[in-house]
Amino acid sequence: MNAPALPSREHDGVDALVTDRYLETLLAAADRQADDTPADAGLDPDLRHAARVLRRSMLRIHPSFRFEERLAERLAGMAAQSRPMAATGGRSGTVVVFPDARRAGGSPGGSHGAPHGAPPDPLLDAILRGDLDPSDAAAMERAARPSLARRPLIVGGAITSAAISIIGVAWVAWRAAHPAEGAMTRAARTAHARRGPATVLPGGGLGGPA
Amino acid sequence: MTTGAVVVLDRDRTLVEAARRDPAQFDALYRKYLAQVYAYALYELADHHAAEDATERTFLRALAALPRFREQARPEDGPEASTFRVWLFRIARNVVANERRSRRRRSAASLDLALGAGLAIPDGTDLEADAVTRDEAAEALRAVRTLPDDRRRALLLRFVDEMSTAEIAGVLGRSEGAVRVLIHRALGSVATELGRDRRPGGRGRGGDRGPGARA
Repeated sequence: MNAPALPSREHDGVDALVTDRYLETLLAAADRQADDTPADAGLDPDLRHAARVLRRSMLRIHPSFRFEERLAERLAGMAAQSRPMAATGGRSGTVVVFPDARRAGGSPGGSHGAPHGAPPDPLLDAILRGDLDPSDAAAMERAARPSLARRPLIVGGAITSAAISIIGVAWVAWRAAHPAEGAMTRAARTAHARRGPATVLPGGGLGGPA
Repeated sequence: MTTGAVVVLDRDRTLVEAARRDPAQFDALYRKYLAQVYAYALYELADHHAAEDATERTFLRALAALPRFREQARPEDGPEASTFRVWLFRIARNVVANERRSRRRRSAASLDLALGAGLAIPDGTDLEADAVTRDEAAEALRAVRTLPDDRRRALLLRFVDEMSTAEIAGVLGRSEGAVRVLIHRALGSVATELGRDRRPGGRGRGGDRGPGARA
């Protein structure tokens, strides 16, 4: 009797678990150039080969010593300008940055200059104040693209303007097609039609026919 | 039930506490994770300068936000878990994602060029085999670059930074099961690209290397 086939989603999960187990042993091997490690018989050989190629290729690359030391200096500068937590008697507090740090675009230690003139971080001030969580992907995306947050207002404004314009045009067209026919309107129109051209009275006033 | 219990498992706890008392002590955490963050940024951005900028932003933001970092390791994260590392890489992921968005319209840099001679370091004893290894490595990295964002990130964190599935799940904000599937599918895509090259008439030089040769 054949075993019932697993739904593809569960099948994926099982295969992924087998792959994960293989990667655990492969990555645990001290030698990145090691030929291979034992694997579950169910593991796809092509996938196993790809894992071994990536294991050999994706090396962890260290930045230059110069960059490392320059960034260490910037961090030390920022740390020196921050109030140590110990000064608050062990109570939780916030890092206080001195004005010269803010002048450098929110990059404490900015006077040292970033390597190859990296632009200052415009969000660092908000992070220092605790207004922005740098580990929150959604918040950081919103903060990095403030124009996006304003766009709905602009679009909304445009829609509102367009709607008002359309309503105005429709109202004028309706009024042209439907002239007012009330009694007072008719009387005013008749009186206006009977009036002759205006004449200048001796006193300087305007007058109609006597 | 251990729900609600605070389990102290962060292997960086001592360093984090020292840095909170005195920010100058952050240097130890910086030195420990510099290469990991830089390598992640380099593989994502394929540009040394951009990777340096992203690394710099990541550590400056981490130091600025350190007073608000909360340790939240779970028992299932294992004895080697570091929630500080997960938190740091979430910051790095956001910095890199922003940089990738701003660079999207520019032409993609070549990762193998950016990595230079570091690719799949050959042992020099067999020139033909070395060339195959190098071509294969370049092809694999090209395949990685074309993966969807989450698959690519998961693969980088697994291979370059050697994170556990639980840690990657923390960085990407996904379940462990979802991360395992992401990595499995990412590897499948890379395998397909490599297989295309190995077949006779393929783009690469390893056409004579059948599955048997790989075992």
